[in-house]
Amino acid sequence: MATQIVMDQSGDTRHCFNPDDTEALSKAEERFKSLTSVGFTAAVRDAAGKATVTRSFDPTAEETLFFPRLVGG
Amino acid sequence: MFAQRLISATRHLWRSLAECSRKVQDLRERLGTVEDIREARGISLLREWLSPEQSVQFDASKCFDVVGCDSGRRYRIRHATGTNVHEIDDAGRPVMGWCFVPSGHLVAGDVMLAQKIALETNERAALALANRFPVQVPRRTYSDAPSRRAN
Repeated sequence: MATQIVMDQSGDTRHCFNPDDTEALSKAEERFKSLTSVGFTAAVRDAAGKATVTRSFDPTAEETLFFPRLVGG
Repeated sequence: MFAQRLISATRHLWRSLAECSRKVQDLRERLGTVEDIREARGISLLREWLSPEQSVQFDASKCFDVVGCDSGRRYRIRHATGTNVHEIDDAGRPVMGWCFVPSGHLVAGDVMLAQKIALETNERAALALANRFPVQVPRRTYSDAPSRRAN
């Protein structure tokens, strides 16, 4: 199972999906595009735990984290 | 007759007030629990993404250090939802504050994680939108200084 984690006011919301399921994968890609188009940053981790920001949907990513647009405080 | 009615009305009023007070207390407790759950979820997510070294540091002092991917400078992210990123020198002393946060009302764990990823993956962009603020370095006060008088 793959997971998309979206930071929100509840802490976070997790969307789990089976990457082998074409329909679920398509929904995950839609979610990716929808979130990044409104300013969310998507980040994935490699095996060593290093985070990388990704601008396109990676169907092989086991975990993708989305956080809202950064602003000056 | 009038006095009895007055006493009865007063008792009724006190009972209603006590009931309202209980309901307000229940509501406060429930809201407090919801807030605690949000905070705990944020910290749990943060821990999942911290490196082992950062995790140890966070356990010990509620803060952790990150290295900016562009400049190699070090930053200390403290447990808070704002004005919590300090650039630090080689000795670990704060030299400058950088304020940038994810939009929306996120809990501290989420804010800290977004700041960590931003500095580790796109430091320049994060600092470009951040507001700088001076940090106070603890100074020796007069009373800390060794006395010159010989007693």
